[in-house]
Amino acid sequence: MATQTAIANRPKQDLAVEQQIQKLRQIYADAPEMGRVALEKIMGELEAAVYSQLKASTAGRIGLRQGKVSELTAIVKFTSGGAKRLRALLNVLGNNFQGADKVGTLHDMRFVFLDNDTKLLFATAYDGDWDPYIDDFATKIPDALDVLFCDAEGYPGMHSPAVRDWIAGNQITADAWYVASPNLTVAETKRLEKVGGAVEEFLDKIG
Amino acid sequence: MLSVNESIDGNRSTCAPTLELDEIQATVLRQRPAPYFGTHAFLRVDDSPAGRKFLRRLAPYVDSAAGWSTATNAWLAVGITYAGLEALGLPENSLQSFPEAFRVGMRARARQLGDDGVNDPKNWDKEFGKGQIHIGVSAFSDSKEKWRRAIAIAREQYEGFSGVSVLFTQDFGAQPGDRNSLGYKDGIDQPAIEGSGAEPLPGQGRPIKAGEFILGYPGEAGVPIPMPQPDILGRNGTYVGLRKYQSRVGAFNRFLRANGSTEEERELLAAKLVGRWRSGAPLTLAPDVDNPTLGADPQRNNDFDYANDPHGRHVPFGAHIRRMNPRDTKLTRLTDVNIHRLIRRGTTFGLPYDPNALSDQDDEVPRGSYFLFMSAKAMATIEFLQQEWLNDGDFIGANGERDPIIGRQEEGATFTIPKEPVRRRIRGIETFNVLRGGEYFFMPSLSGLKWLANLSGAGG
Repeated sequence: MATQTAIANRPKQDLAVEQQIQKLRQIYADAPEMGRVALEKIMGELEAAVYSQLKASTAGRIGLRQGKVSELTAIVKFTSGGAKRLRALLNVLGNNFQGADKVGTLHDMRFVFLDNDTKLLFATAYDGDWDPYIDDFATKIPDALDVLFCDAEGYPGMHSPAVRDWIAGNQITADAWYVASPNLTVAETKRLEKVGGAVEEFLDKIG
Repeated sequence: MLSVNESIDGNRSTCAPTLELDEIQATVLRQRPAPYFGTHAFLRVDDSPAGRKFLRRLAPYVDSAAGWSTATNAWLAVGITYAGLEALGLPENSLQSFPEAFRVGMRARARQLGDDGVNDPKNWDKEFGKGQIHIGVSAFSDSKEKWRRAIAIAREQYEGFSGVSVLFTQDFGAQPGDRNSLGYKDGIDQPAIEGSGAEPLPGQGRPIKAGEFILGYPGEAGVPIPMPQPDILGRNGTYVGLRKYQSRVGAFNRFLRANGSTEEERELLAAKLVGRWRSGAPLTLAPDVDNPTLGADPQRNNDFDYANDPHGRHVPFGAHIRRMNPRDTKLTRLTDVNIHRLIRRGTTFGLPYDPNALSDQDDEVPRGSYFLFMSAKAMATIEFLQQEWLNDGDFIGANGERDPIIGRQEEGATFTIPKEPVRRRIRGIETFNVLRGGEYFFMPSLSGLKWLANLSGAGG
């Protein structure tokens, strides 16, 4: 029975948790004092987290994923004059990127200029994996992406068979990825907003 | 009456073809006839020179797509797995130029294909998934007589020929009324391919760039999809996927009876699962009552789109044909439906559908489908379809649900039928088609086949 198995596994689990906590203490031994003191204070919560073991999964080739939501984090070098061009483009768009609505799976996108405008940090939370839909981007929105990525060093063009490798080559898989509502895709969120609105309207009418 | 041109596949040759039809194997561009008869033979190469000699003997009988409207209406096709290319002695740099999914074989792609649970390769028939299948030879025809002649020719080449072993063969053919193992007329919708010389049938949509289906031509993005090397081997070739499904007729009939109390209700439910009545008539054109004449007419049975069905009240979003070809359905994410198409040459095998089969034993009576599909990127496409459109429903608003006909269902799975005033959600839908084997093949051009068959022996 499930409970018996759980109990039988407890001593084994306790040992594994103990070992992980010990290792953590050792690594934090040369942390700043503030950190070492705080670590002991939150030790109870940490043990609970280790027990629950809710791990992030992979977003396919690269990147992490929680439920339906994946992360893509990339740092690319700008081409000569690239930072200026991209900043001008983003300004025209109101420091927003409404074109993302068309894609339908982008929760958010972040463009951060680093190191004196020599590098771009690009980060997005999106639904599913990006790899299956790259060919769709290449036939449906190649120009928007070419305008965007031409400012990045080494970009081979949306139609190049090397484009997947270029993206993956600039991407860095996060070490940790937390998502509050891992089952809420962009489409589902919009649907629930509509349904929620309709329910409120309905309650108003009958209330 | 139908002319000879139309009787095979309904397509008329009207425009000058721009593809090298005399290089492309006939089955890539020639539709499955109705009725159809055929045999698949699966062979292993035990000795490289013998294997190549076998291909040399077979090559003259492998039909090209040229003259397809006037041909003898029976044809041979041949495909080779990666293990087969290795066994035939293809040089290493050529072997490495094939895509990874093809190189490792379908069994090794189980995770990407979502082939788990009942579809796990460990449950497959013993012939599949062991790297033993090297060459597949198929003979197709619209008459039993021509089929027998075609397979006799193929058999002459491999029977008693040492160095090439027959692993197994599978006869196939449409059941009475051209129905599949669950009682449906299938294989209706196909992509129209630009440059094939045939006018698209009504409803097939605009012709899609040939390079999506045949190597060496520009695809929808304007560039050819990467080809295996050397050029003579890759050009005009394509990839073929095979997925063998066992149809669980008992479970299917029990489901219909549990969720429909009259014959009419059950047939309507069967129609809602697929998007067509079992006669082939599309729900979009016959929303309430079946129309078998419509179902049997290739000029009409595919002539529809979903412009007037934005809520899925005719064809549920999760219905099989709407998933496999969304047409103009508004999807939840940016998608180009034209780059996810497959040429389909599915073949039914085993006993006919039995409406009175209800037991677990009936589920295991050998009958089902050798689902055969082709494209220049068949591996990537089937893996996309399995992950995004088959074992998931988010893309089309069928959240949490899987394809009702070939999805691998979880415990307590549901199928939702949108309707007024309130949608109907059916619980407890099971896996009706269980995967029992599969493999990826390369289908070379006629020149590619001859080149392969004439490789020199040095290096094995």
